[in-house]
Amino acid sequence: MGGTWPFRQVAFFMRIFQKSWLHILFAILFILLSSQNISAFVRENGTLIVEVALNSFPSEAVHIQDNVGDEDFFDNFEDEFGDPSENEPFDPLSGYNRVMTTFNDKFYFWLVKPVAKGYKFVVPEGGRLAVNRFFKNLLFPVRFINNSLQLKARAAGVELSRFCINSTVGILGLWDPAKDWLELEAYPEDFGQTLGHYGVGSGFHVVLPILGPSNLRDSISLIPDYFLEPVSLIEPDLDELAVKSYDKLNYTSLHIGEYESLKKDAVDLYPFLRDAYEQNRKKKVKE
Amino acid sequence: MKKLVYCILFLIVFCPPAAAGKTGDVEILLKEKIDKVLDLLRDKNLDKKQRNEGILEIVDPMFDFKLMAKLSLGKKHWPGLNKDEKNEYLELFVKRMKESYLEKMDLYTDEDMVYDEAKAVGKKVHMKTYLASRDNKLEMLYKFYRSGERWKVYDVEIEGVSIIQTYRSQFDGVLRDGTVADLIAKLKKPGEFSSVEVNN
Repeated sequence: MGGTWPFRQVAFFMRIFQKSWLHILFAILFILLSSQNISAFVRENGTLIVEVALNSFPSEAVHIQDNVGDEDFFDNFEDEFGDPSENEPFDPLSGYNRVMTTFNDKFYFWLVKPVAKGYKFVVPEGGRLAVNRFFKNLLFPVRFINNSLQLKARAAGVELSRFCINSTVGILGLWDPAKDWLELEAYPEDFGQTLGHYGVGSGFHVVLPILGPSNLRDSISLIPDYFLEPVSLIEPDLDELAVKSYDKLNYTSLHIGEYESLKKDAVDLYPFLRDAYEQNRKKKVKE
Repeated sequence: MKKLVYCILFLIVFCPPAAAGKTGDVEILLKEKIDKVLDLLRDKNLDKKQRNEGILEIVDPMFDFKLMAKLSLGKKHWPGLNKDEKNEYLELFVKRMKESYLEKMDLYTDEDMVYDEAKAVGKKVHMKTYLASRDNKLEMLYKFYRSGERWKVYDVEIEGVSIIQTYRSQFDGVLRDGTVADLIAKLKKPGEFSSVEVNN
């Protein structure tokens, strides 16, 4: 290490000044002052390389000349993002998925959105938010069971408290006093996340009709979650479907513009939505 | 005696000075920028053009859009572009990022912003913020790196979805089957629904 030179320097100092505490103090002060620069240099050495590399990118696009420094510079970030071709997911259904993505897109723009906009026009926002809270409260069993299955005791406890408070004080969940007054927030978990928590991989990507992006694991997980959802108990099935559609419509009315905005970021819609979904799920499983 | 001096010197030389509060710097920077943007968004007297110009003026120095552009192509593709392609690509990508950012601002109503502590991740610093909307909470992670004397954002993750990562795989997909010209053409083309209606 570059440690030899300060030692020699000190020896030199001491020979000149002879041994005395005062002189040693001076020596220490001197080294202290110079060493901060050194250690800063040592620590920042890597950063310096990055900066040198960065500066080799001229600040104005017009003056780009060569790729000097690209290598060092990219290595600092490449590790984080990985090689795109290695990240290329196994996607045996891509043909079908693309078609279904287009179908869902049209379904949204031609049917769901106009209806949601009409509904939004008629029903004031306060009402729609209350309905949204009501349906969210009903999904308590899904969240509670999946938190419990993942042994997330605190989250399960919070969910249980939320359900008790919101169903009573919050009048059937139309309001959310647990969050507003007690700052107890929901911990959404589904069976796909439970499986992921125990190491089940996501499998290949599947775009479900109307429901949108999913993968093998999460699609299968819809079945246990279906049975945990109280609305699923409604008979006949047609009524159940009507109630669930209404829930989705109400939700959509609160989020008009989000899909449109998201979509504008896409160069190619299907892989964009696929990657966004998979990254988002990965994060949710990790939490 | 001598040993003691050497010990002390050794400690001084090799113990880096206390962490220079880089996470603190980032926290201050990001909070300041976001607060300024929120002020503009809440100001109902501004017309949209003024507002957008104001926002860009605030955030432009913090975002390293050009680095984002390069990272989105990555080491695999960026060095392969020739000079003209690089210039055109940079210009289009930066424009696109700015437009996309401003458009996200249109979705803002009056949500509260919650800031988490910044965390050092290697040489970089990550800072989480939460946008608490009417019915959910959106997590936004800003990733900073040190650029000269400043901290700059090189990626943003929204609910775990990295902007750079999604661009990388999309661009890789386009370039695997097509050419740089195809990519540039795609970037030139505004989104399929470019005249997005937002009337929340």
